[in-house]
Amino acid sequence: MKRGIIILWLVFLFSIPLWINDLYFLHILINTGIFVIAAMSLNLLLGYTGQLSLGHVAFFGIGAYVSALLSVGFDLELTDTYTFVFDPIPVWVAFLCGIIVASLFGWFIGKVAFKVRGAYFVIVTISFAEVVRLVSLNWVDLTEGPMAINNIPPFTLGIPSVWEMTFYQKEPNYYLILIIAIICYVLIRRIVQSRIGRAMISLRENEPLAASVGVDVTHYLVIATVIAAAMAGAAGGLYTHYVRIVDPDIFLFIYTVTMVIMVVCGGKGTLAGPVVGGIIFGVLPEILREFAAPEIQWIIYGIAMIVIVFFLPDGIVPALTNWWNDRRKGVLSSGLVADSDPAIRDKK
Amino acid sequence: MTEISGDSEIVLKVENIAVHFGGLVAISDLNLVVRQGEIVSLIGPNGAGKTTAFNVITGFLKPTSGSISYLGKPLTGLPAHEVAKHGVVRTFQKTSVFDGNTVIENILMGLHLKGTSKVWEVLLNLARVNAENKYLNARALEILDQVDLSDKGSEMASDLAYGELRLLEVAIALAAEPTLLLLDEPASGMNPTETASFMKIVSKIRGSGTTILLVEHDMRMVMEISDRIVVLNQGVIIADGTPGEIQQNSEVIHAYLGYGDENA
Repeated sequence: MKRGIIILWLVFLFSIPLWINDLYFLHILINTGIFVIAAMSLNLLLGYTGQLSLGHVAFFGIGAYVSALLSVGFDLELTDTYTFVFDPIPVWVAFLCGIIVASLFGWFIGKVAFKVRGAYFVIVTISFAEVVRLVSLNWVDLTEGPMAINNIPPFTLGIPSVWEMTFYQKEPNYYLILIIAIICYVLIRRIVQSRIGRAMISLRENEPLAASVGVDVTHYLVIATVIAAAMAGAAGGLYTHYVRIVDPDIFLFIYTVTMVIMVVCGGKGTLAGPVVGGIIFGVLPEILREFAAPEIQWIIYGIAMIVIVFFLPDGIVPALTNWWNDRRKGVLSSGLVADSDPAIRDKK
Repeated sequence: MTEISGDSEIVLKVENIAVHFGGLVAISDLNLVVRQGEIVSLIGPNGAGKTTAFNVITGFLKPTSGSISYLGKPLTGLPAHEVAKHGVVRTFQKTSVFDGNTVIENILMGLHLKGTSKVWEVLLNLARVNAENKYLNARALEILDQVDLSDKGSEMASDLAYGELRLLEVAIALAAEPTLLLLDEPASGMNPTETASFMKIVSKIRGSGTTILLVEHDMRMVMEISDRIVVLNQGVIIADGTPGEIQQNSEVIHAYLGYGDENA
């Protein structure tokens, strides 16, 4: 039954480009997919370890910039006489490097979080994102600053000089993002259902108690930030090779806020939450654009958010899960371990 | 109840511990030994430094001076999660569980140190990760059974009755398989029936070879269960002996009741 639903979902998602001919709508779905990946990665931090990172867009942007720079190539005047020249490398390698660099920064932020929690962690992450944005804006030599990096190559698939496909079209980008989103979902699910995930949840719920039974709090915070940063970096890389231009606006605070809204409205600390929230808040503004002036759009967006948070404080997914469980309660009374397993409870 | 002889092996050794908070001296000079398999109670009036002593032993607080060793290994200055790895696990005075999770999840979180799977193994979903999960689940059910909470496994911790919550706390600590268990006022707020069944559970835990250090205000429980009682007053140990000896000790009586009778 459960397997059947998953297969149906996959068939639905993979068939979308076949029956949707509207390229603009496909573009919206691609953007939404990228945001869903970013929101899922934020959820690992915000939802499972309970640490609010308001600088999450930094990892996204770092992934985007590193991937862009390495695939375009750059030269850097280090001294008056010596210029470091970096030749372009294949897009996939650049994409991987973007992920790695983003996760290194994640490691650094996780280490910083050793001492700071709550509001202080929020401030550290905001500052970090702002510093990265200023660097991208002012280090014109490397990043082109506000002039943006143009002509970023798209992804390619195949064997060079035998058969190659370059992802200029929307469809292949859609499939690529869908596949990477599924991989991220599966990886996060594995983490969350394991002792690693339980350690993260325990530090969210009760840090002293977690420490008293041997959970090395810093260690698990670092693991969470590294994985979250890597996935956000992957989302950034996907974005940059899809739109093929990247400028410092990628680090705008509003993007972090959007991710937080997606996670909180969808249901933080649930696997499906950021997916549901990401789809709603990714597609909603575009649908509104059809029949509302820009000012009205933002008002509707805000009202939708307030209504969700007000009536479903835990988010959409936990509310639906509770409703479903209440309905079933009469039928199913036992099944102790299965029902209490966080994994199974979190499944949609 | 004292069947532990005086020359049983010393496991916990607390030497010359002092804890100062600025100008306030919480503990001035604490010396304490606990022997293998004992139940030792630490009692004293409020503010005597009992919980501070617990915090220092379990790594939640760094002592100003002095040293602590367990099974010959130094614990002084280790962070709490390292202390837990040495088999020294505590409960908290204020009820402390993982509220947002079910009872069985609470125990699974307590079993953290019993699992060994690494991040990369989890990401690759190796077979041993699943096997370990199965083992931990089975172990969690055993522990629930030990504290008589078997039928509560799928309930949310926040839905438990008060007495059950206190049992769950002990169960979480037990999951970490302590060889020295520190219980900080575990029976406070329990009714006499709950206390009685709780005492049975404590005896069972001791029966499995776990040494217990207890802070408790319920004197009936302390007198009945302890092999030895250490009395702390204003950061200093004023008496150390069997329950019988402590009951006769005039200094202890004074600490609890004051010296008022001459002037009454």
